[in-house]
Amino acid sequence: MKPFLRFLKSYPALQIIAALLIGFSLLSPYFLTSGNFEAMLGANAVVLIAAIGMTVVFLAGGIDLSISTVISASAVISGLVMAQTDSVAAGAVTAVVVGLGFGALNGVLIGYFRLTPFITTMATQLIARGIAFVLSQGIAVKGTPYWMLDFGFMSWLGIPAVTLVALVLVILSVIAMSQTTWGRHVMLVGSNDEAARHAGINTRFIEFSVYLFAGGMAGAAGFIAIANLGNAIPGVGDTLLLIIIGAVVLGGTGMTGGEGSVERTVLGVAILAILTNGLNLLGIPFYDQLIIQGVLIFLGTYLAMRLGSRGKS
Amino acid sequence: MTRTIRDLMSRQKWVAIALATIVLAGVLSVVSPVFLTVSNFQAILVQSSVTAIMAIGMTYIILTAGIDISVGAILFVTSALFAQLYMDTESYLLAFTVTIVCATLLGALNGLLIVKFKISPLITTLATYSIYRGAAIHLTGAQNIPVPREMGFLGNGRILGLPVPILILLIVTIIGIYILNRTRLGVYTRAIGNSERSATETNLPVNKVLIAVYGFSGLVTGIAALILLARVGGLQSGIGIGIEFTVIAAVILGGTKLSGGSGTVVGSVIGAVFLVLIDNGLNLLNASPYIYDIVRGSVLLAAVAIDRYSAVRQKASLEAQRAERMGFGGPHRAAQ
Repeated sequence: MKPFLRFLKSYPALQIIAALLIGFSLLSPYFLTSGNFEAMLGANAVVLIAAIGMTVVFLAGGIDLSISTVISASAVISGLVMAQTDSVAAGAVTAVVVGLGFGALNGVLIGYFRLTPFITTMATQLIARGIAFVLSQGIAVKGTPYWMLDFGFMSWLGIPAVTLVALVLVILSVIAMSQTTWGRHVMLVGSNDEAARHAGINTRFIEFSVYLFAGGMAGAAGFIAIANLGNAIPGVGDTLLLIIIGAVVLGGTGMTGGEGSVERTVLGVAILAILTNGLNLLGIPFYDQLIIQGVLIFLGTYLAMRLGSRGKS
Repeated sequence: MTRTIRDLMSRQKWVAIALATIVLAGVLSVVSPVFLTVSNFQAILVQSSVTAIMAIGMTYIILTAGIDISVGAILFVTSALFAQLYMDTESYLLAFTVTIVCATLLGALNGLLIVKFKISPLITTLATYSIYRGAAIHLTGAQNIPVPREMGFLGNGRILGLPVPILILLIVTIIGIYILNRTRLGVYTRAIGNSERSATETNLPVNKVLIAVYGFSGLVTGIAALILLARVGGLQSGIGIGIEFTVIAAVILGGTKLSGGSGTVVGSVIGAVFLVLIDNGLNLLNASPYIYDIVRGSVLLAAVAIDRYSAVRQKASLEAQRAERMGFGGPHRAAQ
């Protein structure tokens, strides 16, 4: 029992999740049903994939504001390619390549030209949104292949296919962060840039690579967004920025770098997912949900920070 | 001549954006004959007044090395508050006072949360962004509320031939410059941005200054909200969405450093005007409205890249000078 309690204590997000699960199961009879959980999992695959990318950027001490609209841009371009070729594979590759392209742009400007991450990604955020709207003329892209629509509805053991894709990406990212030299270097650069450079780490390349990684994830998220919605919608990612950053910080990954993990972000995404789902079931209007989300993000961050600093001292 | 301009530009960052604005205005006046008229000029200033006024507050915040993502939500919540209060009480005095006071308090609340909980300004204001926006829609029930016609005076009226928004912008700019350069608050603001640690160690009232700075930003955002309401004619649910990025872009274009300590109020105002000029130009070219974002983003990228390049060059030339003075032989000596 004791190790379990210690485990719970080191992940405050788990306590919040437990409280939310118990609370909502008592308040709504529809909450604890397999259908509801399947819907919840499917609806949050996009945010989960995008949040992985944001986590890795945070861990390296940066920030990527463009992730949200890169989701939109890669969804639109992927949708256009699928409408032309009727090939889902071509669409998936296109989405990821577009995301990698934006990531590489961010990475070169921030890693090699030493521009400030905040402004650089704010600018590419605008550019990606513009591209998404120009190419789609501001409306949903028509002509999604049937197989893609099927893919959006597929599920296995009650887990939607889109969520499985997200989980595979989570597992690969966890392995990359904890088992590879690259992952260790990312953490080092995030916790102490100067020391990392003196230790002979190519910090510029590491910074470049985290934005490239985040871009690739945003691209994959864009593809999954088409599967979820049935169409590529040019504004699909725009409103997700708050939720993505919120999920990452709620999980306990700080913006100062070097502290946190992809696993924690999964918990952060889960908190916001359960909260939104439960509040919807209870009929709470979206604007009150915005207030609750804001308060939770703030308090969650504070809690994670307090526990983190106590663990250190 | 070029040397003096370059000297001036390196010391006074806003000169660069001023020159860029003049060049862009020159190009636009060649493209379109209507551009170079007093009325078009006034229209551009009126159009930029809301973001320019908000940018003045944001300049202070960025000077302290902070950021406020919630300004768009403050703009929206104060607009909602004014519209709702006026509809309920029909008293201008009450509605104006409560709106301005609330705007200031909401800004100050950001500052208070940041100093008390020590969470980064970005995350704090991201959270309050969500809270303020939700509160505003809660308050008005997501309806559009018209404001009375006399209110239009704030948006379209004139005093001594000058449009009221321009007049208000002028007053806020002068106050902004005065506080920053002539008062202790202004000096402390820069000091905190240069190094919060040394500011704390020299016993500056860091927390009070930060709360005041975020409160000031809230105050001017409240003023901007009144102008916006008057110009738009009523409360609309889209007010303020995404405006925080335009405001930050104006401040950065104006030469203020995101890392704090260095920047000017004038630069931010010119930055806001510059952004409207770009829209104006794209409009003259009949460009698709969707292209605006791409151009804005590219301009912002170009601005930070140029700034970075000039900083690197300046540093290199400084080092060369120092090396020469110390007799190590800079590049000049080597050439001889």
